[in-house]
Amino acid sequence: MLIQLTRGAGQRPSSLLYQRWAIILAAIAGCPSAAAGTSDFDASMFSFSAFGTFGMVHSSDDQADFTAGIFSPNGAGHTHAWSSDVDSRIGAQATADITSRLSAMLQIISQQNYDNTYTPHVEWANIKYQLTPEVSVRVGRTVLPSFLFSDTREIGYSNPWVRPPIEAYSLVPIDHSDGLDASYRVHYRGLTNTLMTAFGNEKSGTPAGLPNEARRLLVIADTVEYGAATLHIAYQQTYVSVDALDGLFEAFRQFGPQGVALADLYNVHDRLVRFMGIGAMYQPGQWFLLGELGSTDFHSVLGKSTAWYVTGGYRLAKFTPYVTYSAVKADSNRSDPGLSLTALPPSLVGPATGLNAALNSILGSIPVQNTTSLGLRWDFVRHLDLKLQYDYTRLGAGSPGTLANLQPGFVPGSTVNLFSATIDFVW
Amino acid sequence: MSRPLVRSNNRVALTITGLALGLAMSSVRADVVAVVSSKSSLITLSKSQLADIFLGKTQQFPDGSPAVPIDQEEGARVRDEFYVVFTGQSPAQVKAHWSKVIFTGRGKPPRTVSNSEEVRKMITVNPQAISYIERSAVDSTVKVLLQP
Repeated sequence: MLIQLTRGAGQRPSSLLYQRWAIILAAIAGCPSAAAGTSDFDASMFSFSAFGTFGMVHSSDDQADFTAGIFSPNGAGHTHAWSSDVDSRIGAQATADITSRLSAMLQIISQQNYDNTYTPHVEWANIKYQLTPEVSVRVGRTVLPSFLFSDTREIGYSNPWVRPPIEAYSLVPIDHSDGLDASYRVHYRGLTNTLMTAFGNEKSGTPAGLPNEARRLLVIADTVEYGAATLHIAYQQTYVSVDALDGLFEAFRQFGPQGVALADLYNVHDRLVRFMGIGAMYQPGQWFLLGELGSTDFHSVLGKSTAWYVTGGYRLAKFTPYVTYSAVKADSNRSDPGLSLTALPPSLVGPATGLNAALNSILGSIPVQNTTSLGLRWDFVRHLDLKLQYDYTRLGAGSPGTLANLQPGFVPGSTVNLFSATIDFVW
Repeated sequence: MSRPLVRSNNRVALTITGLALGLAMSSVRADVVAVVSSKSSLITLSKSQLADIFLGKTQQFPDGSPAVPIDQEEGARVRDEFYVVFTGQSPAQVKAHWSKVIFTGRGKPPRTVSNSEEVRKMITVNPQAISYIERSAVDSTVKVLLQP
């Protein structure tokens, strides 16, 4: 339960931040000097777009919830037989082309927040300057291109599935950066290479009492496109703190050298987290094949995990059936003997047992599972699609997988059937 | 023993040939051509170079000069044909592609005009412009660069 809430920093910034960005964007847009170069104010410099998804999900396991991600309070299964919270969202974007080189974008999304509200948050808010036709820099908030679909995972219409395979996409706990990024894009003989790097921080107050922080975020990603083929490689590192776990490890430190050693090994205070991912996609038109492999090392109690998936699909007029296999495994230990009780005075055996149990409950929730999915996309009318997807998930031995809200009757290592239906639109 | 097998293989082969022909037919029937201004110095362009320009992967012609793609309106038959024939993508795939680009702030789709006459007008005043029209709409102001 704790780990479901704490694996990474929060993604739901306060509405205060949103207001601040809205003011900045409005100021830039209205600033007369920013419009210098054009003889008069040009309303056509603004463009507006929107996207959204309405989805319903049913899970066969009523003793746990299938959720949209680690920040979602509930979902399908235990809380709702059919949940519309998992996939439903709506987003709106304004872009301003201030000059031929300077532009600004603001994108807000309303979806289920950690506190079960739908208060919109700022997904993107940045100012971009095109230094040369090849080089651009951005300041502000961007979404990181960790996996092939990370920065468009909310745009259901542009994705082949109902949602990106959860095994892989839940590996990346930090998906935003507030900072600076630079992109270098070259096109040579039909080959397009885009190299980008980003530096930033992410801080947000998430569930009560769990302020999370990611500092000194560094991302380097390279994307090669050649005709119908795309290759993507990303490296990401950051220093993550989960303050809510500090108390646990402080308690361990009271138990002498063995407690200090455990706290040093497992604490989540300014710990280096590294992610490496590689993905490839081939979509010549009638059919497509894509796959990704990624690994995250939290260097802490949150463990080290590796995940991969493969998806293939075939387009028959307006119908695109697809199949996916995805899996996540733990590369680190999922249990620990913890404090040795034999050397302890009897009065400390109880507290030590409690600490060991807390440590092992976090280690045990490192997800291990694999899923086979069958789906169908139907482009039934322009700008709208309908997707149906069936997921058969096998949880690893003793593992709750990526499920949340585990109830007393929950059986780790069982199998779960998931039925999803979504309608996506773009405007 | 082997005869029924051979026959069923033939039937499969025939079905596949039929399907392939059906797919090929749809492109044979296409009546869309890629055009530039008759004053343009551009002589040839490959299908993949054309696709890269219209999908925003490059902003330049192969000779390095700037390329300005002009689209026809969404839902226009000539537009749907153009993308299927020259990029191999359905209208929904093209829309999905541009959604990815727009909602990540990486760029924006080509400027849109309402019909082939408008395309010709745009191309006449802008030698860097490139677009597509029905074969029947070709006149002396434009040069056909690529046809299906």
